[in-house]
Amino acid sequence: MAAVNPGARFVIGGQTVMLLALYAFLYFPIFYIGYLSVMENNVWPFPPVFTGEWYGRLMIMSDFHVGLLNSVLIGIGTALLSTLFATAAAIGLLRYPVRRRGAIAVLFLAPLFVAQILIGISTLMFNRNVLGIPGNIESAIVANTTYSVSFAFLVILAQLVRYDWRFDEVAQVFGARPFRTFREVTFPNIWPAVLGAFIISFILGFNNFEITFYNVAAIPTLPTIAWGTLRHGIEPELYALATIVNALVFALLFVIYLLIRVGALRLGVPDD
Amino acid sequence: MKARRALHLDPRVRFAALVGPGALFIVLFLLLPLLSIVVFSFWRTESYELIADWNVDNYGSVLGEWIYLKFLLRSLAMAAVVSAICLVYAWPCAYLIAKHGGRYRIVLVLLTAAPFLTGILLRVTAMQQILGPIGLLNMALMELGLPPVEALMYTNIASAVGLVYLWIPFMLLAIYLSLFNFNFELLEVAKVCGAKPWRAFLEVTWPLNWMGTAIGIVLVFIPTFAASVTPRFLGGPDGSMFVNRLEHQFGSAGTWALGSAMGVVMCIASLVVIFLLWRTVRLRRAGYTGAGA
Amino acid sequence: MSDQAILRIEAVEKRFGAVRAVDGVSLEIGSREFFALLGPSGSGKTTLLRIVSGLEAPDRGRVEIGGTDVTALPPYLRRIGMVFQDFLLFPHRTVAENITFPLKMQGRSAVEREEQLDWILGFVRMEGLGDRFPHQLSGGQKQRVALARGLIARPELLLLDEPLANLDRELRKEMEIEVRRYQEELGIPFVYVTHNQEEALTMSDRMAVMHRGGLEQVGPKLEVYNAPATRFVASFVGAPNRLSGRAMQDDGERLLIDWGGIRLVGRAAGSARPGDAVEMFLKSERIALGPAADAAQHENRLEGTVRDIIFKGQFADYIVRADNDVELVVSGPTSVAGVERNARVTLGWPVEAADVFAVEDGEP
Repeated sequence: MAAVNPGARFVIGGQTVMLLALYAFLYFPIFYIGYLSVMENNVWPFPPVFTGEWYGRLMIMSDFHVGLLNSVLIGIGTALLSTLFATAAAIGLLRYPVRRRGAIAVLFLAPLFVAQILIGISTLMFNRNVLGIPGNIESAIVANTTYSVSFAFLVILAQLVRYDWRFDEVAQVFGARPFRTFREVTFPNIWPAVLGAFIISFILGFNNFEITFYNVAAIPTLPTIAWGTLRHGIEPELYALATIVNALVFALLFVIYLLIRVGALRLGVPDD
Repeated sequence: MKARRALHLDPRVRFAALVGPGALFIVLFLLLPLLSIVVFSFWRTESYELIADWNVDNYGSVLGEWIYLKFLLRSLAMAAVVSAICLVYAWPCAYLIAKHGGRYRIVLVLLTAAPFLTGILLRVTAMQQILGPIGLLNMALMELGLPPVEALMYTNIASAVGLVYLWIPFMLLAIYLSLFNFNFELLEVAKVCGAKPWRAFLEVTWPLNWMGTAIGIVLVFIPTFAASVTPRFLGGPDGSMFVNRLEHQFGSAGTWALGSAMGVVMCIASLVVIFLLWRTVRLRRAGYTGAGA
Repeated sequence: MSDQAILRIEAVEKRFGAVRAVDGVSLEIGSREFFALLGPSGSGKTTLLRIVSGLEAPDRGRVEIGGTDVTALPPYLRRIGMVFQDFLLFPHRTVAENITFPLKMQGRSAVEREEQLDWILGFVRMEGLGDRFPHQLSGGQKQRVALARGLIARPELLLLDEPLANLDRELRKEMEIEVRRYQEELGIPFVYVTHNQEEALTMSDRMAVMHRGGLEQVGPKLEVYNAPATRFVASFVGAPNRLSGRAMQDDGERLLIDWGGIRLVGRAAGSARPGDAVEMFLKSERIALGPAADAAQHENRLEGTVRDIIFKGQFADYIVRADNDVELVVSGPTSVAGVERNARVTLGWPVEAADVFAVEDGEP
């Protein structure tokens, strides 16, 4: 802490207030939904009267079970494909200094710059009118992957730039074939990044609405159930559903945080 | 010997084997579908069927009829305003985290990014419980005997608040990543050379982080321009956007060719925004060194 | 070469775009020798080493190890050892796991790996440190682990890529002796790439000097040092004094030159003929230094003034301004009677201490 002049302190103070306000803005609604989910009266829940009824009702909703299962399936499928493509691409781009690799990187990031709803309707139209494939879980997975792969790619790239590829050369000189090299040296060093990408793309696929909606036909998923509920006036079960999903997401993000720490340790950087 | 030779693969072959599958996937399942709607936009729809009867009537409707043009302009204005708010608000926050976050930087950034991952619908639901007529804000005012804030109940302002709520994490993340790679010692250099803090910011920090900022703007502009759920549930009767009209073509109206043309118009509008921002980025002046970026 | 060549490089060429990194190099290395490949950065020495290891494929030419053509073999089939710049110990593996990695890749049993590990840990004096992780080691310890990993499988050939470049001076001196001991005791041929001529001269039996992708000179180290074959070798291997003059008279082995009005005699190393512009490369430690009018017996003598004395610990560099205003560096003991700043001194050196090349004899 060097001496800070009063002007700078004022600026830092102002920024701190803004950041704290941002956190409040971002998290208050999330916590409020959690609060509502255990309140008997959802309109003006003060003073609080606790109830577990909404969770109970959610649990016996048959759509909820089907939707949860479908969302998990879409999440896992999306995560598997996205992580596979993104990991291979990130390794290829960083490992081999091929010309024009910048253009390839742009291709993998391009989906970030396409509106989700456009991905949704264009894949719907393409599948239906060109390929003749009906809407189902598989087409939702494929469509979601085109979007999530960019996030997976970014997550892996961000950590892989710190990996020293000469370790792979060391392994090869000492007798490891390419696949063995990957198993013995590359993967043990980069797995936190790979798992991080898997989790991020799982969450994206699991929660996606705009892409999934146009590609699953009438099959329920958690977001489409939420959409239906929202359309017909909110029922308190939705608060319970939202709270469960939020809790799941935050738990997974905590895992990612731990992974970043482990990853930093692996790559020989003590902190952040 | 031949088999052994095969193991000693050309780097270009290995590169293609690693990058190819993903690249092919994106081309097949993202670019081809996008191209297909360009084709469909020149067709017409009859009783829920696309007919390959080439014409430009759809574009005539989208760009020529006030009903569509109005929504297009409203969407563009909404996206511009939301991007501007996010930009102005996220910069100081990202700056604080990058410069003074120390070892908590990662946690602080993850905390801003986390809500994004909870899903659009649930976040809009949450927003509705705060801003809506029976939301927390209004009910609290009623309890206190105060009049409701009508500006926040099913209006475009509520839409804008909701969109900022949804997308500000992208802006913050883009600016943060740029600042993370920015050498703050350059500011010290500027100050030693006689620049006051705000001058140092304008001469050094801002230009060197403009590319990251521009990426942030695009990352917010595109999804807000294409937002459908937020205006639908927060915007009220005057809040309907271009995308809501577009969805209508793919829903009950079943006029897919027209919807495709609207999608193409959206795509082109987004590309124009990207292009205009890209023209302001001077790679060399942005400190781009060619690698990574 | 008395013994059988273990490594034979024939007309190897490698380009990167328009740059000829390795430009038609042929070389043979014997089965028990310590061979240094010396050159400045960008001279192609690391590329040549990577071609030998199989990490880089040559565009043309052949590489033979132990009589087998390995040109088309990937690194993992070549059975060589290598010590990398920056050590490159696997961060996720312990010292023991790092060292036994080559044996594991060869499919040796755990018992055998354990035996060899015990032996090599003793050999490199790292007993009891097998369970540490690389980040818990000092620079010198990392270096020993890297060497142990390169040697444990008793390869036919050990390649070393600037292994001491990142160590501080004291440690480097210590490791130079240690690396030399490993080579002598195990009898494995070492090919040692370095840009540091002192390292090359300390450790090697024979050396090659590389420049712009080609070999300038190959031979026993003393021969390279004492009789540089090219103007580049003379400038790169230990001659800080470069005197520009004109050749005057040629009597076969010796060349008389005019250096700004002073007449000097040097070894005729290049193709210089009378009348050519020439350069004399003069080794600083071969110059005798004494008070003015000292009658030291040398063929070359000149007088000058001491401008500065740079103390270097065990010796000192004397900066002497000759009477034609050109400065020379003389290495000598830290104190010489009658020699101090601004003192008039006499310099003298034998013909063999100075190599004369025509300016046309290639670039330095």
